[in-house]
Amino acid sequence: MRELRERIGSRSFVVMALVGPILVLSLTYLLFAIGENKQQSWKVLISDPRGIMENKIMPGEDKSIQYSFVSDYIEIADFASGKTYQDFDAMVEVNEKIITNKLSFVFYREKPSLNMTINIRYQIERRLEEILAAKFTKLSANDFRKIKQPLQMPFKNAYDPTEQSSDLAGWVGLFFGAVIFVFIFLFGMTILRSVSREKSNRIVEILVATVHPRALMLGKIIGVGLSAFIQFFVWAVIISFGLYLMRETVFVNGYDPANLAQNGTSVAYNEFVELIFERIQFSSMIGYFLLFFAVGYLFYGAFFAALGAVTGSESDGQQFLLPLIALLLFALYSGYYVLNNPETQLAQLYHYLPFTAPVVVMVKLAVGYPEGEGYQLFISLLILLVSAFAVLSLAGRLYKNGILQFGHSVRLKQLFQWLKMK
Amino acid sequence: MLEIQQITKRYQRKAALDDVSLSLKTGEIFGLLGPNGAGKTTLIRVINRIIEPDHGTVRFKGDLLKQKHLIHIGYLPEERGLYKNMTVEAHAFFFGALRGMTKSDIKQALDYWLNRFDIQSWRKKRIDELSKGMAQKVQFICAVLHEPELLILDEPFSGFDPVNVELIKQELVEMKAKGKTILISTHNMRSVEEICDRVALIHQSKKIMEGRVSELQESARVGEYAVKFRGTMIAFVNALWTGFELIDKEILGDDRFVARVKMRGDNQFEDLLKVLIGTVKIEAAWEVLPSMQELFINAVSVKEEIGK
Repeated sequence: MRELRERIGSRSFVVMALVGPILVLSLTYLLFAIGENKQQSWKVLISDPRGIMENKIMPGEDKSIQYSFVSDYIEIADFASGKTYQDFDAMVEVNEKIITNKLSFVFYREKPSLNMTINIRYQIERRLEEILAAKFTKLSANDFRKIKQPLQMPFKNAYDPTEQSSDLAGWVGLFFGAVIFVFIFLFGMTILRSVSREKSNRIVEILVATVHPRALMLGKIIGVGLSAFIQFFVWAVIISFGLYLMRETVFVNGYDPANLAQNGTSVAYNEFVELIFERIQFSSMIGYFLLFFAVGYLFYGAFFAALGAVTGSESDGQQFLLPLIALLLFALYSGYYVLNNPETQLAQLYHYLPFTAPVVVMVKLAVGYPEGEGYQLFISLLILLVSAFAVLSLAGRLYKNGILQFGHSVRLKQLFQWLKMK
Repeated sequence: MLEIQQITKRYQRKAALDDVSLSLKTGEIFGLLGPNGAGKTTLIRVINRIIEPDHGTVRFKGDLLKQKHLIHIGYLPEERGLYKNMTVEAHAFFFGALRGMTKSDIKQALDYWLNRFDIQSWRKKRIDELSKGMAQKVQFICAVLHEPELLILDEPFSGFDPVNVELIKQELVEMKAKGKTILISTHNMRSVEEICDRVALIHQSKKIMEGRVSELQESARVGEYAVKFRGTMIAFVNALWTGFELIDKEILGDDRFVARVKMRGDNQFEDLLKVLIGTVKIEAAWEVLPSMQELFINAVSVKEEIGK
């Protein structure tokens, strides 16, 4: 409780709990604001000397772009500096071979937003498709567009053709796994620093005279972990609320998949949006995310606590921290490996190995377990839980035997002796 | 109150404690003495259950010492340590809660001790705002806040100025009067003489001496006496002749001295007085017993000689 009270009562915790989400939301706002139209409306001049477009443009939902046609060829310098065209924000050059070379330059005064670029490209392209269809085929523009669609080629499991898997889903899972390990690292370091500080300022001697060293260590891990959960929860609430507000007020059209589809965004992007909004079961994934985070944190937290207790000096601590960091990075790599090689024996091993299980399970959860194989998740959780208890027990011995040793250099032989001592 | 029986503790091949037995009674101040590295801190940590002995037992009020007994023990380690960014009040509530005190009890006890040391203004101060001596006072308060039945103090006077040393001594004597048992590990021999009822000397992991301070001093008497007189030093020395040996003298004024004299042969104190009366004007005379410091040094030196 003291550990938890100290953390959540500290100014830095309160600041980070509020500043962190505000930073994330601000960044999100900036990213999307940059993508949005900088100006309320654009005036676009289409230079079409051959009259290919016949002074017509496809009507679009976006009324912020006004098109004007001119049947002359306009020099770029004239457009840029000439007084005649100063009212226009951009000029589209429709060259005489556009039907065949599919090339058209757009010259702008101010760099357009991504949205603007997509809209202009979409409307010009739609018009050209109409011209192409009319000129070279007997098809209507809509029929032509259907033929023009890129080839869809989903990969399916021969044993379970109905299985809906997705590489993108795996990446989302890997992201969740990475979040777990980032938090484990950050709060593991908090445990290590707290243990080292209590050791260096010698208060630990009074503490272990009152509380069993194992209880002390466990209390510290749990206290720091609870503060991590609280911070994570505050972040999740503030960021979710902020994103919801942004979607409802500032970027009303930006997040709507239907709008994006109409504006002609890529199939891949649509698939991503569909993945996020439709396919991934976030409600259950969040539950397993929290569960694996909690148990994974206990597992790794024991290592950090033991390391803080056994090191005699700061340099020793840094030296022995490197293998621990290497383990964490390896765990992240294992998630990436499983993403690309989901059916190998090594992937199976990583699924059950307690060091790598949290991230690998997130990847598998996002992709989806095959029918009838969901039990693997629970086996992995059980192994991780048992391992966490085992490591906590061993770490407790190291903590008890090492916490009152000062100024020594850590040797592996010494560590093994401490592990043998009860 | 506390029975320490045949405690042995080894670290690899080195013995930190070798068959050490002690017994502490209720309502006494017991001094644990010894040179650096003798095993005092190891013994204290065994009593506090910080480390477990290889052999031997510790009994608290007749029962084998267990974790549950620790709330009745207060401990002030030699290496002082507090949380730098916590206030004095927060420390009191933290340590009080660890020892099972209620918030109201903690508040009451803290009020008492802050008033006692006249440091009420420190209540809301953080430890890093206090000097070392002030922080040590706070640590002392945290050790005694829960009114432990057994108080273990490792170098309690270290870091305090003479005024605060006296203050701490007074508190310890008062606690003893209330029936508390206090174990002090210290190198401050003068304090040991002043307040300890019994002492034990540990050297190279073994107990080499134990007993009441007065008894130990008397058992090591060497027949030395101090005489405070008015007169001349020459007359004093002439009166001694061969029956007594002048060890040392202290000049108090033009014709006032304190002389330390050792008996020779079978001469007794009365014989000394007989030869001096009429020669000098005796103002006071007393037996000079070896100080605890002298006893300590002699005992350790003898042990080391034997060891060679």
